[in-house]
Amino acid sequence: MAATARIRGGIGADGPFWDALDAGEFRIARCRGCNEWLMPAHFRCGTCGSWDIGWDEVDATGIIYAWTRNHAVSDVLKERRGALPYVTALVELPQAGGARLPGVIVGDPPNLRIGARVRGTIRPPEERSRGYATMVWQIEDDSAPATRVGETEA
Amino acid sequence: MSGLRGAAAVVGIGQTPYYKRGTSPDSEMKLALRAIVAAAEDAGLDPAEIDGFVSYGSERNTGQKLMPGLGTRSLRFAGLAWTHGGGIPAAVGLAAMAIYAGQADVVVVYRAMAEGSNQRLQVAVTQDDTPAQFLANGIDMVLQRSAMRTQRMIEHEGVPRETLEAIAQAGYHHAQQNPQAVGYGTPLSHDAYEASRYISEPYHLFDCSRENDGAAAVILVSAERARTLKQTPAYLLSCPMGASATMGSREDNHEPYTSVGFIDLAKRMWRESGYGPEDVDVAQIYENFTGMAVGTMIDHGFCTAETAGDVLQLDNLVAPDGGIPINTSGGNIADGFIHGMGLVLEAVRQIRGTSTNQVPGAKLSMMAGGPGDSVTSTALFGSEATL
Ligand SMILES: [Zn+2]
Repeated sequence: MAATARIRGGIGADGPFWDALDAGEFRIARCRGCNEWLMPAHFRCGTCGSWDIGWDEVDATGIIYAWTRNHAVSDVLKERRGALPYVTALVELPQAGGARLPGVIVGDPPNLRIGARVRGTIRPPEERSRGYATMVWQIEDDSAPATRVGETEA
Repeated sequence: MSGLRGAAAVVGIGQTPYYKRGTSPDSEMKLALRAIVAAAEDAGLDPAEIDGFVSYGSERNTGQKLMPGLGTRSLRFAGLAWTHGGGIPAAVGLAAMAIYAGQADVVVVYRAMAEGSNQRLQVAVTQDDTPAQFLANGIDMVLQRSAMRTQRMIEHEGVPRETLEAIAQAGYHHAQQNPQAVGYGTPLSHDAYEASRYISEPYHLFDCSRENDGAAAVILVSAERARTLKQTPAYLLSCPMGASATMGSREDNHEPYTSVGFIDLAKRMWRESGYGPEDVDVAQIYENFTGMAVGTMIDHGFCTAETAGDVLQLDNLVAPDGGIPINTSGGNIADGFIHGMGLVLEAVRQIRGTSTNQVPGAKLSMMAGGPGDSVTSTALFGSEATL
């Protein structure tokens, strides 16, 4: 599916991210000039000036960096009302330079907390995801409730 | 210090009533005209004299559209400050710069919103610029992103969640003295706050600002001209806008994550003005959500994550006796929300001594723009004695 510019907000350089999800791959933008991970993707690397931006496949694993349990949404997200309450998070990707990616946390896990380890799976395009394939995240069963992210292993 | 310091002043303020969302009897254009004419009358100026128009966000009632209704003799300067609520003090700053640079003499800064003639929030407030990474994943540009940031502030940085309630309570407390406020006559008890439903954790219903129809405007002129007019001038001492290297539009990959964008701006403001947070008498803190206002207070140096629980207590946040009274008209949460523009008017009233929750002898009055915007701004107004 041609995923470029279906939603017009944002910088608009992340078409390959969505194309990759459509193809079953999880790819994050990375500068070919200096190897810096770019989140969000951009057209030029502000660090080294390169216009050569690649997309590296990475493991679909991460760490919950921030989260919220949503009980109401505005009309902007009215397609999600049927799923309330649902949990969204910023997922930190240590394997991609600590890039943080927004996503849905599947279910309502009791061990939801900052620092919990998550594993992603690709969900096919839906109306509520505006026709995009999305990466959704599940807390790993052995991700025991710790107290602070700073005290977790990785 | 900047040559802009004290070069211009707010000499007129005007607003329409705050109508419940979707109930304005007037179109946005008419609301804008009413607020601007009211500001001109407040200043004792002929509205036709206004030669500069500045707004922010996605304001669509442009100077060129307003000028036939105002009898404008010459439109000499017009501009729109990026971005959303983060652009409010920046708009005031643009007006002052135009005056300082000799490009305009009488500049109005205004915002008008009405449900009937504009599409709310997504267009009117956030300019329809929510990135796909958020929208596709059920995350709104403002609410959920703010909630996640506040959750980390609480869970990871240890800021007590009671600070959120203190921000909400301060607004409602002040609204009880302000008959114009939407929250007038409906005080917020601790039990009502606690019992209110969650919207997006950690935010309860009462952590979220109201939306209204209405318009608000302020008029600036040069300091010299201000001294000849009838109102006590509120001089603009400093009004930095911007984003530091690790901020900007980064889809929540900015650093530090829990900052709401004011760390460097506040440093600039204290340097340019010659004052610090300990000198500020009263502050209007844009609160789309209470937790973001907590971030604004921390970024500006009113407290740290460690001291937030001690500083951000209701007694300390209310006029007349609190150490740092905030949102003295009720703020976005309990006064009303015209995309935050009402906060500028209240900052000016405190310098004039005409607030319904006046801080006695207030000389330094701050107004912070939208927290968490990818570029934002903050302003310090002062009385003649502070120049
Ligand atoms: Zn590079």
